[in-house]
Amino acid sequence: MKQCSKRGVRRWAAACLAALMVLALASCGGGEPPTNLVTSDKEEGRDVNLFSPMEKTDPNAENVARTASDLTVAMAEEKLGVTVAYRTYTAETYQDRTYDDVALDRARSNMDDLYLLNPDTIMTLGLEGKLADLSGLDSAKNLRDIIFTANVVDGKLVAIPQEVVAYGLFVNVDMFKQYGLELPNTPEEFLECCRVFKENGISTPIGANRWWLETFVFAQAYAGLYNGGNTEEEIAALNSGEAKYSDYMRPGFEFLQTLIDEGYVDAEKALVSEAIEAEGPDFLAQRTPIVMAYWGAANSETAYAKTDFEMQVIGFPSSWGQMPVMPMTGWGVGAQAEHLEDAMKVIDVITSDEALRLYSEHNRVISPSKNVKVDCVPALRPLNDRIEEGVYVLGSNAGMKVEQWGNTCQIVQKLLGGATVDECMAAFDELQADTLG
Amino acid sequence: MFLSIILVFCILGTIVYTVSQKISQEMSSSAIQNLSESLDLIQCTIEAILRNEAEFQTLIAQEIARTEDPEEYICVYERNQTIVRMSFILSGKTEGLSNTGEPFTEEGLDFSAGGTVNGLPVSQSYLNYMGTWAYTIKCPVEREGKEIGTLYIEYVYDTIDRSLPRDGFYNKQASLYIMDAESERFVLKPKGMGMRSAGHLNLDDFYRANNIQDPAIREEVAACLEEGRNILFYHDVRDVQALNYMWPINDGTIFMVGYVPVEAIQQEGRTVNQNIVIVVVTMLSAFFLCILLYYLNWRQQDKVRREREEERRVHSQQLAEALQAAQVASESKTTFLSNMSHDIRTPMNAVLGFTTLLNRDAEDPAKVREYTGKIMASGQHLLSLINDILDVSKIESGKVVLNYEEFSLSSAAAAVCAIIQPMAEAKGQTFQAEVTGVRNDCLVGDETRINQVLINLLSNAMKYTPEGGHIWLRITGLKQRSGQYEHIRIEVEDDGYGMTPEYLKIIFDAFTRAENSTTNKVQGTGLGMAITKSIVELMGGSIEVFSQVDQGSLFRVDIELRIAEQQTKAPQPVSAPETGEEYSLEGLRFLVAEDNEINAEILQELLGMEGASCEIAADGRLAVERFRRSEPGEFDAVLMDVQMPVMNGHDAARAIRELEREKGGRIPIIAMTANAFAEDEKAALDAGMDAHVAKPLDVRLLKRVIRKHIERRDAR
Repeated sequence: MKQCSKRGVRRWAAACLAALMVLALASCGGGEPPTNLVTSDKEEGRDVNLFSPMEKTDPNAENVARTASDLTVAMAEEKLGVTVAYRTYTAETYQDRTYDDVALDRARSNMDDLYLLNPDTIMTLGLEGKLADLSGLDSAKNLRDIIFTANVVDGKLVAIPQEVVAYGLFVNVDMFKQYGLELPNTPEEFLECCRVFKENGISTPIGANRWWLETFVFAQAYAGLYNGGNTEEEIAALNSGEAKYSDYMRPGFEFLQTLIDEGYVDAEKALVSEAIEAEGPDFLAQRTPIVMAYWGAANSETAYAKTDFEMQVIGFPSSWGQMPVMPMTGWGVGAQAEHLEDAMKVIDVITSDEALRLYSEHNRVISPSKNVKVDCVPALRPLNDRIEEGVYVLGSNAGMKVEQWGNTCQIVQKLLGGATVDECMAAFDELQADTLG
Repeated sequence: MFLSIILVFCILGTIVYTVSQKISQEMSSSAIQNLSESLDLIQCTIEAILRNEAEFQTLIAQEIARTEDPEEYICVYERNQTIVRMSFILSGKTEGLSNTGEPFTEEGLDFSAGGTVNGLPVSQSYLNYMGTWAYTIKCPVEREGKEIGTLYIEYVYDTIDRSLPRDGFYNKQASLYIMDAESERFVLKPKGMGMRSAGHLNLDDFYRANNIQDPAIREEVAACLEEGRNILFYHDVRDVQALNYMWPINDGTIFMVGYVPVEAIQQEGRTVNQNIVIVVVTMLSAFFLCILLYYLNWRQQDKVRREREEERRVHSQQLAEALQAAQVASESKTTFLSNMSHDIRTPMNAVLGFTTLLNRDAEDPAKVREYTGKIMASGQHLLSLINDILDVSKIESGKVVLNYEEFSLSSAAAAVCAIIQPMAEAKGQTFQAEVTGVRNDCLVGDETRINQVLINLLSNAMKYTPEGGHIWLRITGLKQRSGQYEHIRIEVEDDGYGMTPEYLKIIFDAFTRAENSTTNKVQGTGLGMAITKSIVELMGGSIEVFSQVDQGSLFRVDIELRIAEQQTKAPQPVSAPETGEEYSLEGLRFLVAEDNEINAEILQELLGMEGASCEIAADGRLAVERFRRSEPGEFDAVLMDVQMPVMNGHDAARAIRELEREKGGRIPIIAMTANAFAEDEKAALDAGMDAHVAKPLDVRLLKRVIRKHIERRDAR
């Protein structure tokens, strides 16, 4: 037995030694090194510079919209063999220059190739001829008519969106139920809801920032214009000066003034607040029952995708009922971009049906392509239903000679800063006069 | 063995650990040095750019000084990728002109931080009219030693970006930001896809994005920023170990900020680590293999050890049991000897005592008869004792051989009853016997032994049944298991003293008796039941006993006996023994071969008492010789002792039978020997003798045997 076990140990020891020798020999092996130690496989890369805003909230939160966009960009990189270099800017505080300001400067200075632009900058740059005509792209043929029309400036399609941005009111349904309130349809109903909230100790029922209060104005100003069946004529009258923008805008501004006067909106705070950054935490903490935001905020963790209460997104109050407001954020290409050709190809890919399907499925948004349809999250159904019915207001319309989204925002900021409604209306009149010459 | 394996592997483990630690430390310092050198290189590059810009600006300032109209010079300048705006303010004025044609003031430019490049003041970073981060260097324009104005040139950080490797460094895994030291804002950022996520705005954002929350680190970083020192520290970024850095440029007016995953610097580190892991895994495998081998070896040895221990234990147990059995046997035999000593001495005492009395009262016939009767009884008792002892001795030594012969069960039962009935009557007991259900009366078996069983059981019953008690013998035929065998149940029941449960357990053990002989008047060897059980089992049967104290006992024997081929005898009812006329030996003459003179004399006297005569031969040879010389019919029978000198009884019988062939006729030869066993009887019959009568002689038996054989001779 002992003999046997000794023999076994010897056998094992021999096997281990053999294995070690094999390892040692293997490690000593290897071919002759080449004379030139640098393997030069460098290729001159094709870059496309993309300018877009940077996320400012929680670094670890997932922004599905951004992720969805990145997926389509990655698709373009793979298909075209280009590298899309992101260049970003976001204002650190309200005192900083805004993203739109910087985007305008950069586009005017031909700093980048692709720009993610808000409606007013699309309009401005389009009018300045700084944006290339995208109508020849394959992806442009798939756009819904309303989207196509809204992005045409001087006969050129200057931007293509990846999603139809619809703004609505994000309401805490639990709080409405708590105080026995129905979701409001008209401005009067809305004011009544705010009164009840205020009386019940909610000091500021509406959470606001310096950007998005204009949506209240648009809903009331243009509900009739876009849904009354006489849209083209009314826009033509505005463009010719026969009709005044101030006449359309006045009810909305007066409504905003009431909200401010009654304390339903904290104007001072709103004036220095960035979007979601200021009002978001109060809304999530159920201290504020109403905020306004864009469609994607309902899907994004950086905004309102995760709430501890039942949330619904409804249209803004108007005499025509709940009214979604749809500005057209989109991608534009610099007309004198350094890498114009590649940039055009990139935008063609990222707005193709394939990319938009990927984008919409990931982000659960309304696609600008007439060929792509996806279900939305339950909270967005009320808003989606109105849009599907064809009831909405455009927040920007390249067909109007006076740019709407940016100008209205600035004039609303004046109201927040203490200007009267009349002064604001005068500003519109002046603007219209300047624009129409 | 095990400890030495552990020790060896502990030493090896320590060596590997030490080596890997050393490698790790060296790799770490190498990584730090590597990164520091890379950052120094980038720092030098950027500073060279800044210096070049400053030098270039100084040259332009000199050029402007030589021109008559500096503002005109400025206006014709076109922006390029490096200089995006050039402005000039004449001395004593607050507003000048830019090359863009716009008026220019110093408003919006912050030179308060005191940063300089080549001695020229450099402003804090700001977002310029092109929407990109920029800085301005101002340079005095002097003509003939007199300052005529100030030249402001705006540079963009994109220039620096273009001077850095297009693919970044450390295989695109490193991140590099340029941070304005005063505002702590990032003015140049990497261009990766992740740059759209939060965390790239300023230093706070950087801390948040990379979860740098350690106050000590943040304080140290703040101090370095304040003092324009560089700092390098380890901190995991997205769960990957990384070297984080803050590297001052241009005396700390701007900083390079970022991180590099350690793996990106130590690309060989992964291979080294893998190799260390391979070594460690190999060692661990070897270690566990050794442990396994050791364990297997130990288990094998343990198994062998346990087997040996078990073997030893079994041996010890067997020895202990043997010792105990020997002790028990010894004790039993000691007890037995004690009992026997008592039991033999008691009748012996009677024999000797009554012999003395007989000698004294020889003249008184009545007393003589009384004494001789008692001497006879004592002698009989002694005989039975001796028979039992010899029987048990033979059974125990396995020398018992059964003599299978055809016999009649009813006859055997009748013979036993004939013996028992008078004894029972003598004791005032009622004895009843019955044979029922036996289909075949003629069976094959050892009749003598069956009789012995019956007699033992019945005499035992008689012994332990008081006067007036009842004894039953039942022989019952049970259902046959085979057509060739008769299944018989023998039951002997009494209503006597019965037995205690304790005694029932040992009743069949040898040398036991219900009571110690010194205290019990019941006499016996204590071997009867042991003999009975042994015989029954020898015949393939079983015996059971049921008893209760003062209620009586029941012994039940089940045996199977082969059915004889021809049923010659009809079953006979059990009946009382024949009480025919006593056979007389009157006039008969016997040739007696007996070497013992006393026995010879006794036999002579006994035969004489019966009216017969005899001639004694002192050994077998003499007997044969005498028979040879005898006339035909001179002797009626030969009574042959077996153990004799010169020629034993068997040889003598064979010689006589040999002689008879010559002489004719056949004389009955009856063996009379102290060799009283069945095999002795068989040997005698085999030697040609006709019957066997054991010593001491039972005269009645002898007479019966003699009559039987003489009648048979006569019949022939």
